[in-house]
Amino acid sequence: MKRILPFIIILAVLGLALGSAWYLTRSVPSTPTAVGQPAPQSPETQASPVQQAPINPGIPGAEPAHSHGAANAVVHLEEFGDFECPPCGLFHPVLKQMEEEFGGQVRVTFREFPLVAVHQHAMAAASAAEAAGLQGKFWEMHDLLYDRQNNWKTQFDVRPVFEGYAKEIGLDVERYKRDVNSDLVAQRIFNDGRRGHSLGVKGTPTVFMNGREVPFELLLPAEKLRATIQNEIQAAKR
Amino acid sequence: MRKIYVTAALLSLIGLADALYLTVEHLTGATVQCTILSGCSEVLSSRWAVVAGFPLAGIGAAAYFTVFSLATLAAFGYRAAGTLLTPLLSAMFIVSLWLIYLQAFVIRQFCQYCLFSAAITSALLLLVVIGRFVLKPASV
Repeated sequence: MKRILPFIIILAVLGLALGSAWYLTRSVPSTPTAVGQPAPQSPETQASPVQQAPINPGIPGAEPAHSHGAANAVVHLEEFGDFECPPCGLFHPVLKQMEEEFGGQVRVTFREFPLVAVHQHAMAAASAAEAAGLQGKFWEMHDLLYDRQNNWKTQFDVRPVFEGYAKEIGLDVERYKRDVNSDLVAQRIFNDGRRGHSLGVKGTPTVFMNGREVPFELLLPAEKLRATIQNEIQAAKR
Repeated sequence: MRKIYVTAALLSLIGLADALYLTVEHLTGATVQCTILSGCSEVLSSRWAVVAGFPLAGIGAAAYFTVFSLATLAAFGYRAAGTLLTPLLSAMFIVSLWLIYLQAFVIRQFCQYCLFSAAITSALLLLVVIGRFVLKPASV
């Protein structure tokens, strides 16, 4: 018995470890629908985790908000993002892909939520995007900041980099330099952040779909977000 | 000597729990999101957090489980298991040092769970080295 006792202990610990991992993984909400599968047939009993979440209107953010897509779109995605956040950088192309796939059914709004405590250039990047927005080119700067996140986030001084981006997208660079430090830009970032806090945002990217928070694990990869959006469209048709 | 192996087995269980937690967080995406307070998100979403498609934390959990198994066997008199512990823990210690370097100088964010794991690995190596080379095996 003494010879096999250590093996029994080892197997018991292995079982306990695997069981705990399985239980903890299972406790996270799962993807509502797999890719290519039809939407749930019994909506009353199969509401997705997103549809079960409460709606909190929060306080208004910066106005006018930066939005893409039809105003009467079935699905409104409001993203709170930080340009220096790596997962936001991963989420950016996924969201663009969804906009292309769903066309007029999806409207996207971007809200500034720079995590200044952990990202040294987050505020500078948010200011650059907002300053570009004052010249009507927020989304152009937004896309450049995410697409080239790895190029600038390790730089010591990002101001000349962002000024280069401003020139590249055709901004009046002198005006951009004034705007980037303006009270108006600071106020917009503050207002978006205040709205985020009122909605309970604690990290980025945080996305609200028609006012309900989408769990982070349903945002990536694209298949999960696609299924989440499809579920919402199906729910709207009922 | 047996007490040393029993202590090592218990310590490795703590390391296993820590690594399992990080693995689950990684797989569910919970810590991969950037958050206001934690540097874990930065570390766990970095490109070093995945090795050949496997979460590094999962590989760490497997390593801790192996340490636990070897220490348990050694505590029950399987000498070969005790012999294998030193090279395994040395390798884990070197990997821990590399990860601390990455956190300090490359990612520039610290994940407390990763640091805790490095501390456990260091304590385990120290314990086993003391057991094998300071205390004589004959005195078991």
